[in-house]
Amino acid sequence: MDTGLILYVAAFGLILIGSAGIVLSSHLVRIIFGIALLEAGANLLLLLATYREGAAAPIIVDGRVPLTMADPVPQALVLTAIVIGVGILALALSLALRVQRAYGTLDMREVRRRLEQDIADEAGIDMPSSADAPQAVISRQEGQA
Amino acid sequence: MNKLALLVALPLITAFLLPIIHRVSAAAGRWTGPLILAITSALGISLWGQLGDSAVAIELGGFRPPLGITLYADQMAILFAVASSLGTLLLWPGGGEDRVRQSTLALILAAAGSGLALSGDLFNIYVFYELVAVASYGLIAAKASAGSYAATMRYLVVSSFGAAMALTGVALVYQATGTLNLAQLAQLAPTHLNNLQGLAAFVLMLIGFGVKAELFPVNTWVPEVYATAPTRISGLLAGVVSKLALLIIVRLLVLVFHQPEALTVMLILGILGVVTGELAAWRARDFNRMIAFSSIGQLGIIFIAFAIPGKAGVFAGLAVALHHLVVKPAMFLLAERWSGSLTALAGAAKNSPLAAGLFILLALSLIGVPPLPGFWAKLLVLVELSEQSQPLYYLGAFVILAGAALEANYLFRVASRFYRAEKDHKAPAAHGMPELATASLLCAGLAGSVFVLTPLAEQLEGIATQAADASHYIQTVNPEAPP
Repeated sequence: MDTGLILYVAAFGLILIGSAGIVLSSHLVRIIFGIALLEAGANLLLLLATYREGAAAPIIVDGRVPLTMADPVPQALVLTAIVIGVGILALALSLALRVQRAYGTLDMREVRRRLEQDIADEAGIDMPSSADAPQAVISRQEGQA
Repeated sequence: MNKLALLVALPLITAFLLPIIHRVSAAAGRWTGPLILAITSALGISLWGQLGDSAVAIELGGFRPPLGITLYADQMAILFAVASSLGTLLLWPGGGEDRVRQSTLALILAAAGSGLALSGDLFNIYVFYELVAVASYGLIAAKASAGSYAATMRYLVVSSFGAAMALTGVALVYQATGTLNLAQLAQLAPTHLNNLQGLAAFVLMLIGFGVKAELFPVNTWVPEVYATAPTRISGLLAGVVSKLALLIIVRLLVLVFHQPEALTVMLILGILGVVTGELAAWRARDFNRMIAFSSIGQLGIIFIAFAIPGKAGVFAGLAVALHHLVVKPAMFLLAERWSGSLTALAGAAKNSPLAAGLFILLALSLIGVPPLPGFWAKLLVLVELSEQSQPLYYLGAFVILAGAALEANYLFRVASRFYRAEKDHKAPAAHGMPELATASLLCAGLAGSVFVLTPLAEQLEGIATQAADASHYIQTVNPEAPP
């Protein structure tokens, strides 16, 4: 199998795993890992966009031009994207810390419920689902409150 | 014409100098931000005057595309760049002990917003988009309450997901064409991107940039953020930032992605946005979330309008988008004192009669009651929709009409409460001067535009004609391109 294909599979695999992690996990740190994997996949895909097997660096030494040269543009782009990704990751982790301090949990389902409760309390209304929600939902909410 | 770059560079440089300026003199630090935004807005308006109906492209650092990055300015780009500066100026976050940090972030938001409007390079757009996102995270969390942290966190997750999707789309485009310059992409698109890969790239970027434009499946952050963020920031995000994201999607549709399926996808998501947004707004029981959901519905209408092919779609979409750009921030400014339960608003007109009047004016325009501009914008969309042959467009028109009925119901339910005083109930406090003044200014603009509708519509049609002309864009950026 050629290297390009394996790398493409890896890139789309990372994108899939990352997306699944964001959508399916409820633990905040796992969700943040999902974002990191997703970004890694997207970056790898960008890098692969003009991948050529065995290409040389695009530098002309002693007037000799290499036969196949790598495209430097995606490499420069990926560098920028990685830096942005790291910044976002740091911000996400510091926010996660604040959320944990405020609510004492990193379970996003619980955080979401508390957030809804906070908004409703501040507005002076009942929880939006309390009137029409199925009995099971209400009893679960009351049990946890 | 190199002054164009100042629209982005000036607020960006000032943003990072602001902490130093503030240390030297607190008063100077306080006024520098608004002053710089006023200067960039004036600069943008003067550029608008100079350009007339021609467009201009500059190469940053003198590097020609595809190696260099171009800034492209036609009337639409400058209009939204000015909207970004002027909108941030009007909705300046200002207050609190945290003033320096918030001012810095607001300046970054304005700079990146102008950058989004002017950039002619896909990757550059992605970078500015992330910059807007990061600045808005900080501004939302500025309230430093448990709720605002949690809402920011959830927004960050959705937004990062969207950004990664957009980056994947960018990678697919680069893979197919080998360039990210929008003008070159426009030249290569008919041969290289008119296939399944191109459609996939568009859908990925639609989802990615749609996060900020409150597009249907990726708008879960909207009610939470607008309920917990400072109201001025909510107004800025709903009014200005969402339009900048839309501008990118429109540019991509005009220049790069010509597949009819691309328009269909956008139309369907727009229809779903109107249905879900308006129904949720109808059910909402607090003021902030009501206008948050209503904003999802309104942006759905804009997506439907832009899904109409050709110049007509750009014209109709621009009309609804600009209307929403003026109305929504004013609505959020009124939410400053009225946030909270809708039943608590009983008798609010006694303490703040002007605010109640403004709300009714805004509500009438949002619903689309003649002769207010909102009516003409919606009428334009409906007329253009009715001229399409595909049945899905009629569904769009029907959904817009049904949405207007729902809007009338929930907005007037609130308005009638203003004038119904109840015993043993303390009416909400009167609005502060800055909020009321800015909201009045926006409303005056809205009401004043009724008297200049014809020239305004002609101007808007000119902007749309220019923006919908892909060959004009190509010729401006690269004069040697074959016509």
